[in-house]
Amino acid sequence: MKVVGKIISISELSVKVLLKDDNVELRDILVCNFNDQEYKFEVVELEENIASLLPFKRVNGLKKGIEVSLDEGGLQMEYSSSILGRIYNSYGDGIDGVKAKSKTKRNVYDRTLSVAEISVKNNPLWTGIKVIDFFAPLQKGYKMGLLGGAGVGKTVLIKELINNVYKKFQSNAIFIGVGERSREGKELYDEMKADDLLDKMSMVFGQMGESPCARSKAVYSGLTAAEYLRDENNQDVLVFIDNIYRFIQAKSEISTELKRIPIENGYPTTMASDISEVEERINSTETGSITSFQAIYIPADDITDDAVQSVTTHLDGQIVLDRKVAEKGLYPAINVFKSSSKAIDPEKIGRRHYDLVQETLKYLSRYEELEEIIAVLGIDELSEQDKLIFYRSRKLRNYFTQPLFVSENYTGIKGEMVDIEDTLQDVEDILNGVYDGIDEEKLLYRGKLNGESRKEEEPIEQ
Amino acid sequence: MGTHIEDLVNQKVEQIKNKENIFDSGTVIKVKDYIIEVSGLENVTYFEKVTIWEKGMGYVNQINENSVTVAIVKENAPIKIGDIVKTTGEQFKAVFAKEAIGRIVDIFGTDLLSGKAFEKIKYINIENETIPIMDRREVKRPMLTGIAGIDLIYPIGKGQRQLIIGDKKTGKTQIALDTIVNQGSERAESENDVVCIYIAVGKTKKEIKTIYNELLKRGALSYTTMVVATNDDKQPVVSLIPFVGLSIAEEYMKMKKDVIVVIDDLKKHADTYREISLISGKTPGREAYPADIFYLHARLLEKGCQYKNGGSITILPIVETKGGDITDYISTNIISITDGQIVMSEKEFAKGNKPAINYKNSVSRLGGAVQKAEIKSLGAQIRRTFLSYLETKEVYELANMDEMTEELRNKMKIGAQMQEALNQPKFMPLSNEEIIDKFEAIVKQEGYTNEN
Repeated sequence: MKVVGKIISISELSVKVLLKDDNVELRDILVCNFNDQEYKFEVVELEENIASLLPFKRVNGLKKGIEVSLDEGGLQMEYSSSILGRIYNSYGDGIDGVKAKSKTKRNVYDRTLSVAEISVKNNPLWTGIKVIDFFAPLQKGYKMGLLGGAGVGKTVLIKELINNVYKKFQSNAIFIGVGERSREGKELYDEMKADDLLDKMSMVFGQMGESPCARSKAVYSGLTAAEYLRDENNQDVLVFIDNIYRFIQAKSEISTELKRIPIENGYPTTMASDISEVEERINSTETGSITSFQAIYIPADDITDDAVQSVTTHLDGQIVLDRKVAEKGLYPAINVFKSSSKAIDPEKIGRRHYDLVQETLKYLSRYEELEEIIAVLGIDELSEQDKLIFYRSRKLRNYFTQPLFVSENYTGIKGEMVDIEDTLQDVEDILNGVYDGIDEEKLLYRGKLNGESRKEEEPIEQ
Repeated sequence: MGTHIEDLVNQKVEQIKNKENIFDSGTVIKVKDYIIEVSGLENVTYFEKVTIWEKGMGYVNQINENSVTVAIVKENAPIKIGDIVKTTGEQFKAVFAKEAIGRIVDIFGTDLLSGKAFEKIKYINIENETIPIMDRREVKRPMLTGIAGIDLIYPIGKGQRQLIIGDKKTGKTQIALDTIVNQGSERAESENDVVCIYIAVGKTKKEIKTIYNELLKRGALSYTTMVVATNDDKQPVVSLIPFVGLSIAEEYMKMKKDVIVVIDDLKKHADTYREISLISGKTPGREAYPADIFYLHARLLEKGCQYKNGGSITILPIVETKGGDITDYISTNIISITDGQIVMSEKEFAKGNKPAINYKNSVSRLGGAVQKAEIKSLGAQIRRTFLSYLETKEVYELANMDEMTEELRNKMKIGAQMQEALNQPKFMPLSNEEIIDKFEAIVKQEGYTNEN
């Protein structure tokens, strides 16, 4: 390798190099060896003959004056069918100890899509999760955001979607772990392996204990893998990203280190374009599609956060997880008022589904108001009409909880998938009072109901 | 102006005459609290230990083009401009000593009770690279606290990171101490040896001594070491101390031991780190914390794991909140790192519910996966009915009892019994068997319905 310069300054997250070669570009990879350790860097800024570099790992033990060389080809990811069944780090290196079968690689930044290439189609994609299929239905090629603050169940939901969608459709999937827990990454890998589901999946991890450089690259490497499957194998690919917010967070750390002036809350000025660069690659073409599920962390439970908003502008739908719902023990803890999808349109999901959604939302929003009244006056003071709405809404609310496969350990109840037709029927029945005589508790953590109430005896209430 | 530069040049000339290696020494040119800038030291490595001639010690936290920034960890006399700084050729390291069990040690490995260093020591990195994904194993062995509300409802496994969060004086540290003390009886049955590490982050000396005495009285010091940075230690020391504690934990884990680490507390740690960052001139972000505050805690807490060799590190970090708000920046950051949280509430404390756990906001992401079969299904059942009771209680609090359905009335009655059964005095651990007996009696009585 060719020596291109030497180190002149070092701080925790960045290194500067005095270049003697002007053939160095942004995003080039530079390498040095010192005390039997290999250090790698990416070029992130150039100013005259000084380059600012981002270290792949910690820089403890490094010193000034060390020579760095250029690693030709930049950051690369395997670009062949041998990615399936494998697990990689952010830099495209396999970490499962398996020897790569193919040597074909591609630079992770190479691909962008033109308007002409992009295809928009309308094929529904049901997840089997009642509350999602009902309030925020998906279509193939959609980008679905799963937003939530800390500890309200984003990762559980992502895992349930992998379970339901990936297992059911048996299409190829890429899981990109960004800045999340290593434990969960490993467990997902182990579970997939145990269930023999790894052969159609590939995973890329840049987890939370890793450097900001690692956390900011996992998405690029993962997308390169997804693009291989879409462009070369002409497949419908599922991409799960947990968690895209961590990508921006890593970029903030990098930006601070480069002493760039931040925008609100310390986010980098380039935030919007950083996100666009990634999101614009997640699209479908005439020959293959990418449907993506992107978990989005909401810092400090502040949904108006700039980073969160910048991501949501790219989405076709969003599912918002809410701490207030979680506190009530209702899982998945989805806020139905804030969750939405572009598919909520009579032309896409049909008139019946559409009307039921509107009617349900009407009931539930009245319920919210009634809850406040009740907190002061008690239930007995409500009008008969409101009482009806109150009890039916509580039933609806309970009905939209669901035993999930991935939380069997937690709930002790077996997971269930529910067909959309059943969900529509059940909701219609609840709204029409078919279940009025049933204790609301009985609707918690159930799959479909399907008129089982008709077997029940006398109504208990009133 | 000229005189200062002249002095520097003269000094260098003098050093060269004395045949000293000028690359290995430098001169202080700026002092900003505990961060100093040094010219020279051309040969220094990042995070190297340096000495400030007869006055103190520090580590290199930045190498600039023409100078080096050093964070001071020990200062015996005030440092001033012109003081000579020397390299040591080694990284700033922590000390591992088996003798430290039962003692209170500082970042330098000094036994604070005797004031002496330990005899048999090993130098270890203050921070190692993060444990690779593939070296981790599933967290599934129970780590019992002896507290019914935790072992039954929000269980903790060996290798789990479970946050204890709440306002001042709600019993956060007590939960951690109860857990440490409970390991005394747990140890006898465990296949691995258990080691506990209590890390004090900027606590007062009095607090530290009180905790020491509590642990001593209950025989917990035979397997516990206290790694502390006191209130008046240099801020860089306070910010490094949790890493030191966890490096020690990693040593034990690699010897196939089950290590339980308490970090008391991370809010203080975040504030200390913010202070250092701002003094060092880093750009402030949300709430003036630097952008890498999440990374700081993430890489610290990612050291908790079930390791491939069978050993493990369980971490119980503590975070102090204000006004019961767990949705502030630092708290949510840490919640998003840990595998669950025990929320302590002032309200519950005032109601006399002890431990004052807020069951509605508490979470264990691993749940039944870390419970033994005997307690697992009971735990899931109690969790569901108890949470449902708490929610229903709020809505129907004002409703007329007589107009309630039979089912609802029973639910309220049994919920109240559960609440009562969850109350438990400090240092009175319950075994899994005792917990099962207590709660099976409740669910077996007439009128208890377990839907689903």
